[in-house]
Order: sequence, then C-alpha cells, then structure tokens
Amino acid sequence: MSGINLIQDILIVILAAYMTIDQNGLVIMSWFPVIVGTITGIIMGDMTTALTIAGTFQLMMLGVAALGGASAPNYGLATIVGIFVAVRTGTGIKSAIAVGLPVGLLAIQLEVVARIIVNFLAHRMQTDVKNHDFKKMQHEAWWGPALFSLQTGLPAILIVFFGPDVVKFILHVVPSWVTDGLTVAGGMLPVVGVGMLLRYMPVKKFLSYIIVGFVLAAYLKVGVLGVALIGFAAAYWYFISESKKVKEAAITTNVPSDDEGDDYDE
Amino acid sequence: MSDEKKTKLTKKDRRHAAVRYNFMACNIFNYESQMGPAVAWALAPALRKIYPNDDEYQMALENHFNYYNSTTVMSSLILGASLAMEERDGIGAKDAVQSLKTSLMGPLAGVGDTLVWVLWPTIMGSISGYMALQGNPLGAIVWFIANIIFWFVKLKMFDVGFTSGTKLITSLGERLNIFTESASIVGLSVVGALVATVVKISMPVVFQFGKVKLNLQTGVFDKIMPALLPALLTLLIYHLLGNKKWTPTRIILLVIAISLIGTFFGIFKA
Repeated sequence: MSGINLIQDILIVILAAYMTIDQNGLVIMSWFPVIVGTITGIIMGDMTTALTIAGTFQLMMLGVAALGGASAPNYGLATIVGIFVAVRTGTGIKSAIAVGLPVGLLAIQLEVVARIIVNFLAHRMQTDVKNHDFKKMQHEAWWGPALFSLQTGLPAILIVFFGPDVVKFILHVVPSWVTDGLTVAGGMLPVVGVGMLLRYMPVKKFLSYIIVGFVLAAYLKVGVLGVALIGFAAAYWYFISESKKVKEAAITTNVPSDDEGDDYDE
Repeated sequence: MSDEKKTKLTKKDRRHAAVRYNFMACNIFNYESQMGPAVAWALAPALRKIYPNDDEYQMALENHFNYYNSTTVMSSLILGASLAMEERDGIGAKDAVQSLKTSLMGPLAGVGDTLVWVLWPTIMGSISGYMALQGNPLGAIVWFIANIIFWFVKLKMFDVGFTSGTKLITSLGERLNIFTESASIVGLSVVGALVATVVKISMPVVFQFGKVKLNLQTGVFDKIMPALLPALLTLLIYHLLGNKKWTPTRIILLVIAISLIGTFFGIFKA
C-alpha cells in the first residue's frame, strides 16, 4: 500500500515539474487543468474525483493567459495538488479548492523569482559567446528548463510531504463557511479571466459581438461551440468586406499591376 | 570574403533548428531579453554551419541574444525567414535580420496570441471543462492530441518561413490587421457567452414581508434578465482591471474575500 503511495508521490512531483517545461516549450499538455488533471487522475487512480476537480479549475482558468510574458495564477499546479490532496485524504472537491487555489496563487511569486535567476543565466551564456566558449553556452542553456521546473516542482514536493496531514488538520479546525465560501469563490473566479480577456481585446470596437454572444448563451442557451460558429460567420464576413476595401484603396492609388492581390480572396 | 564557400543548410539542419526552438521557447525566459537566449540557442548549430569563422559566429549569436518575444508559431515563421537571410547574405544580413525580427514580432504576436492563447484555449477549455465536470475525459484527450498535431504545424511554419521568406510575411502586411480583428470578433462573441454561462454568482436570500416570501435571486434578478449578476460583476472587474493598482492577483483575493464574507452572512450559497 505505502509502496504505491510512494510511486504516486514521485510521479506527482515529476508531473508538476515537467508541466512548466511543457508550458514554456512544447505546449502539448501545457498548464491546462483538464489535460493535466486527466494525467493526475491516472496517477492517483481516481478518475471521477480528478475530472470534477480538473473541470472546476478549467472553468476558473478560462481567459487567463500569460500574454506577453505576464504572470498569471497557476491553475495547472492548483489542479495537480488539489487532486492529489483530495484523493489521498478522501475529502473531495472542497479541500481541492482550499489547497489548490492558494498554492496556484503563490506559484506566481516563484515564477517571478525563476525569471530573475534566469536573467543571470542569460548573461553567463552571452559571456560564453564573447569568450568563444560556444559549446559551454549550449550546455549551460539547460539550466533554464531545470530552474523553471522547480517553479512548480518545489511546491509539489512540499504538498506531497505535508499536504494530506495539513489538510486533514485544516478541515478539522476551519469552520464550514470558509470552505463553502471558497467554493462560492470558485464559481465567481472565472470573471477574472474574462475581465483580463476583455482588457486585451478591442472591446470598444466590437462591443456588439459581446452582446450577441451573451444573448445567445443567456437567453437562447446556445453552447460555446455554437456561439463560436456564429462569431466565425461574422468574422468571415468582416474579413472579406474589409479586405475588399483595402484592395479598392490600393486600386485607386496605383491603377496598374494589381494582379498579385487576386489570389487571396478565394 | 565568405564568397568562396557558401554553405547551404540542409532540410535536416532547418528541422533541427525548428525542433530546438519549439522546445526551448520560453524555457530561458527572462525579464531583460525575454526569448532572446532561446532563439540564439536554437539557431546556434545552424549558424555554426553558416559561419565557420569564430568572430562572425560570435557576432551572429550576439545579434540573436537581443530582446525578442513573440508567439512561438509566428516565431517559427520569423526565425525561418531570418535563417534564410543569413544563409544567403552571411553576416552582412545582420542588421536586416535584426530589423526583420523587431518589426514583425509585435504584429505577428498580436495575431498569434489571439489565436493560440485566447481563442483556442477558451473554446477548447470551456467545452472540455464542462465534459470533465460530467466525468467525461474525451474533451481533454481530443485537446491533447490536437496539441501534438499543432506542434508539428509549428515545425512546418519554420520551413514555410525559410522557403517563402520575407515575401510572404510582408505580403500578409495590411491584411494582418484585418485578420487579427476578425479573430477578435470570434473571441469576443465567445467571451460574451462565457459571461452568461461560466461566471456563477447568485444571491438566494429570502425576504419575508408579512406572509409574502420573496427570493432575491429567482424573484427579482432572474425576472430582470438571465445572468444579470454575472454581467454586473464582469463590468465591475473590467473597470478594476483598468486601474494599475488592481493586479489580477489582488482582484482574485478581492473575489475570495467577498465570497467568504457573503457566505458567512448567508448571502451566497455554495
């Protein structure tokens, strides 16, 4: 029994450590809760609990994107440690949110620290190039992914060691309105991602489409894919008509030699 | 002086560089030069073939260590094109390569980020998220497989950049902006739907006037409009995010605090 637990512990730490390397590079499982959570579920041997928790964090994360190198709460790590703690202690989704959310928020600080340390690495690599130590530069680069893996690997190690006991204790001491409150917060938190998306995108210019999407979903109960398809229809029309305008403007300014523009429309 | 022996990069060399870049990407990310070191590291073996001379090699590498940041798909296109320029013109292309990279990384990141980091995870995430809540891992599996295919698309983009080079990217030019806007239209309609479905807040407080009971949520808010509170909350958060002092982390803490207080007084229910 404890042998299986040990193997699970090790796999959880490896998964957490690799997650950041993947998120930074290959982007195959990245830090997306449902993908990371499915793998965690396989490791922990409890798919039902894992998927519920992964789905909850996935919806919380919608719209949260680390654009232009900004830092965002790590819902992927929250999913891994949340599922681990929930399955190991048998306490379910409430403890997953209570543990996962704070860990995901603290992980932001570790990311900032990792990037500052990597700054020194970047300078070392440049010094190597200056000294014509090209091979050394190539080897030293591997410290980058190694350091970044600690960003999520270290918290996972701490959780694996102390998590289950601490969680049992916390759930024993903390009144139920706190865990209930955190569940309520879980329902509201997707608003942060949505707000960030709205800040990133041209809201003022395309306000109409937000309203269309809202009405379709709220009043007519159209699913996300259906709304996306209607959005795509509008986008296609917009693309065609705007491209035509650009082309017409080009024709009026320089009349001859516009043959090359023709192959784009079809 | 490098006219005597011009080295051609083989297809294998190019593929090698593409694989290195699409692994390292943000793995040497730092606040000063961002993706710069990863670009230099990824291109290093290919550049070594182009520049047998150590001094030229050093200059070329140092050039690539400069500040760089863009979406990896688009970067594959840009870096493929830069490599083609260096293969053709050698170290003489240094400044042209630098200006190609700096002038394109911004606009291409605009399209790339909207498609790769906003639209794709939002649509896939909401579909697979709801499936997962019902105990169905199929959405997650489809997403995972699609990401693997997508990785090979990135390698292909590097080749496209290398062979069609700057011609393709500049001809995209003015249409790029229209394309980004079209992608934003899809994105914003999806965001509108998310406000109504994913943001969950309700106040099932019951008021009693004599013998009449009134549930604040079902009796008042839902009568005005479905998803009224999520819409109002979104508006509030959107305005807070416009203020520099309200970072996303602070707003998350604020939402948690409001939830805790509200649950304590029985305004919200889990």
